[in-house]
Amino acid sequence: MQATLQTSEQNNSLAARLLVFWRVFKKSRTGVIGLGMLVFMILVAIFAPLIAPYGRLETISVSDIYRPPNALHIFGTDDAGQDVFSNFVYGARISLTVGFFAAFISIIIGGIFGLVAGFFGGRWENFLMRFTDIMLVIPDLPLMVVIVALTKPSLLNIIFVIGLLGWTTTARVVRSQTLAVKSRKFVLRARAIGAGRGHIVSRHILPMVMPILVVQAVLVISLAILNESALAFLGLGDPTTLSWGQMLNYAFGRGAMSAGAWWALVFPGFGVVWVVLGLTLFGQGLEQVLNPRLDTHHLMPSRPNVRKEAANAKPIPSQALLEVQNLSIHYVNEGQLPARAVENVSFSLNEGELLGLVGESGCGKTTLMLALLQLLPSAGQIVDGRVFFKGVDLTALNEEEMNKIRWSGISIVFQGAMNALNPVRTVGDQIAEAIIRHIPTYPREAIPARVTELLDLVGIAADHRDHFPHQYSGGMRQRALIAMALACNPQVIIADEPTTALDVMIQAQILELLDSLRKKLGLAIVFVTHDLGVVAEMCDKVLVMYGGVTAEYADVDVIYNDAKHPYTVELLKAFPDLTKPKKKLSSIPGYPPRLDALPAGCRFAPRCPAAFDRCHTQQPSLHRIGTHGHIASCHLAEVGSTVPLRRIAPRTQK
Amino acid sequence: MSKEFLEVQGLKKYFEAGRPSLFSKDTRSVHAVDGVDFTLRRSEVIALVGESGCGKSTLALLLMGLEEPTAGSIKFEGMDITHLNDHQRKQKDLRRKIQMVFQDPYESLNPTQTIEEIVTEPLLVHGMLNTPDREERVTKALEDAGLKPADVYRKRYPHELSGGQRQRVVIAAALVLEPEIILADEPVSMLDVSIRAEFINLLAELRITRQIAVIFITHDLGSVGFFADRVAVMYLGRIVEIGTMLEVLEKTQHPYTKALISVIPVPNPRLRHERIILQGETPNPINIPSGCRFHPRCPVAIEACALTDPAMVTLSKTHQSACLLLVK
Repeated sequence: MQATLQTSEQNNSLAARLLVFWRVFKKSRTGVIGLGMLVFMILVAIFAPLIAPYGRLETISVSDIYRPPNALHIFGTDDAGQDVFSNFVYGARISLTVGFFAAFISIIIGGIFGLVAGFFGGRWENFLMRFTDIMLVIPDLPLMVVIVALTKPSLLNIIFVIGLLGWTTTARVVRSQTLAVKSRKFVLRARAIGAGRGHIVSRHILPMVMPILVVQAVLVISLAILNESALAFLGLGDPTTLSWGQMLNYAFGRGAMSAGAWWALVFPGFGVVWVVLGLTLFGQGLEQVLNPRLDTHHLMPSRPNVRKEAANAKPIPSQALLEVQNLSIHYVNEGQLPARAVENVSFSLNEGELLGLVGESGCGKTTLMLALLQLLPSAGQIVDGRVFFKGVDLTALNEEEMNKIRWSGISIVFQGAMNALNPVRTVGDQIAEAIIRHIPTYPREAIPARVTELLDLVGIAADHRDHFPHQYSGGMRQRALIAMALACNPQVIIADEPTTALDVMIQAQILELLDSLRKKLGLAIVFVTHDLGVVAEMCDKVLVMYGGVTAEYADVDVIYNDAKHPYTVELLKAFPDLTKPKKKLSSIPGYPPRLDALPAGCRFAPRCPAAFDRCHTQQPSLHRIGTHGHIASCHLAEVGSTVPLRRIAPRTQK
Repeated sequence: MSKEFLEVQGLKKYFEAGRPSLFSKDTRSVHAVDGVDFTLRRSEVIALVGESGCGKSTLALLLMGLEEPTAGSIKFEGMDITHLNDHQRKQKDLRRKIQMVFQDPYESLNPTQTIEEIVTEPLLVHGMLNTPDREERVTKALEDAGLKPADVYRKRYPHELSGGQRQRVVIAAALVLEPEIILADEPVSMLDVSIRAEFINLLAELRITRQIAVIFITHDLGSVGFFADRVAVMYLGRIVEIGTMLEVLEKTQHPYTKALISVIPVPNPRLRHERIILQGETPNPINIPSGCRFHPRCPVAIEACALTDPAMVTLSKTHQSACLLLVK
């Protein structure tokens, strides 16, 4: 912990920030290529006098009209006998200048409009956004043509016309981002401490809008360059300057096509394409850095899990309905050490049994559950161990075979009822889909009756069948998810924190429902939770996980009254117990380990009040205690161990 | 009336909910907070308990002046602060004295600011940036919030911290202003169990060391039972029972409180007990039931409950409850 704290100590200076930015940015290949293309062209424009072999608009000789590219004129010559390469180099100056300045104007206007509309809302927003809408409907180019034609087509005019017409998308993008940021809790918190509007905009809204504005700026620049080229090509450019568009215009208007002088058209066109492409690629790279959500996430499904066969693993078929034997799961990411999310976890579950899987966030409990259904994300790999369902090793099945077991054999109730339901389809529809998808042969005419039956089973009246998820309350949505999980008569249900976001009373209702279903249908349930109280109320067996390993596994009564693992003991002490009010809660100092930085010895050792030297160096193995399947992974639980459980100050101080 | 530290009387907040249909004349309103009275003493901890939709979070926003009350009054140290605007609140130092801690530590910190910037920000807002002891104050706030040593955290960003640490940063940003009241809206519900206790202990410590009063809003009576002085149970915008913690837990009067207490999980399988599980959910606060607002879900309701809205019955100097069965 201490080490990571120091390494991540960052300098706040601009240079350091840029360095950090670059480190991330360079991972995006398209971005780097785009930036390279852009920088190259900017350098060309800046050092134009050094690069161009001839002067600006310098006519070499009238006889040299439309010379094809040769050693003297690598891009050939144009209608006026001017060197195309020199004009191209100088043209870069004009095109880029127009692009950057026009975009600057657009971004400023769009940014301010969007910010004001989004932040102040009400009448301001109405006015500004309607204005934006109107501007958006009017096609840009004809309007520009009209305005430029009416005014003198000087470079400055063109910059302003393009700039003043190009802000609409920016305004919309900035407004929506401002709205999103405004509704976030930290803005409310700033208001609560008395921050004024100016403060909130400058400290909270702007920093969050900036990244989007930067990406938007890149796009607006390329649009401005395209617009300038189009205007110039239409003969509305500044006649005293020669931009790429102007070059195209001259070449086209003065018979380059008929003279077969492709070079006079292709090279300036190439310049436009080069810059626009460079900007687009650069924008893409920027977006990836500034919007981390676009990064390929480790949860994205891609390649199937390839299971590495353990050399000496001999499957021992089991009698239990569901049995997990020595399961280990690692998350493997390129260029990083594998995160050992689950290691050597075993448990078994019989019909009608309820197992509580208890652990804090990041202890690997959700990973373990996903592995049971072979639904691990691509980075997650089962590196060892077996999962038996009715004697069949699930880890050896292929996707098709596994699909037959999912939902009909083992199904899952996900956490977060709102996200797990599709908001645009009725609940009844979604349950019907669950049936059809997993039992394609199910008689269609029987489905409505089955859906009603399932809803009835979880206590939802049939007339709610055609309602959408948003018309359901939190508790009802959770019930609907349970109905969905029951759709194909599974024998095992995995309930992943099904009550976590719910109020105590609704929580009690859901627990009662699960308990009654278990009795009525003989279901076996794995109940994943961080709430020890819930577990005590209804479970038969409890598996306590810590940092990816089994801390303790025993009957529920043993866990609560005769726990051997210090983590279990401490966790119980931290749990409020209203039967003993006024008792001060004890807390466990420190924080759970990160899976990519696990301690060398016992994973709980840094927080353990009873840790001794060995705990910090050697990982304890699973020790069997007594004859009733009580297991604890603690050196203190070793048979014949005489070290008493005593309070010693934890070794690592925060 | 004596000069209470914080006194809330008949506080109401109705939100417009639009018309029931396009052609209907009358508009409907959501009775989010519907007549709440309570007082808070200096360095007292009061727990506001209720299910979602009972109006407890709206009540917090009203107390913070982030929503305008429809009726009723809020007095702080004898001064009526009900209808002060942002500017007046700041002038009267209320924005410093009353601080809030939000439920979600992941959402309530700006991801682009460092911890130091976050904790210094309140000083900036209150024009105290140039006080000579600024550094010290920030350090002290961080360390009092349990982020020790402070220097380790200063330059870090919220995403580098765990949920528990973030919630401590929120607390530190409140402490730096040396507040007198902290309003905590479900501050631990997003935290891991092993860290929850630590956080609650931190609040319990602060009330002693800094004389801070705490209004702890939660749906889970179990999580605050042991550290609150008093408990107020809310249902559909009203307080239905209020009393000292022991009175509410052990001499429970209101059937709703009884049900709430019965469903609090007891971490011991040997003590599994009959739970009073109320059916259905808190009704929509647009259509408040007639008579006692709890009667449709009440397991012991009598006929009269549908007709008469029960008044608060005083059971002891500190204990009050609103139930018709107590009037007999």
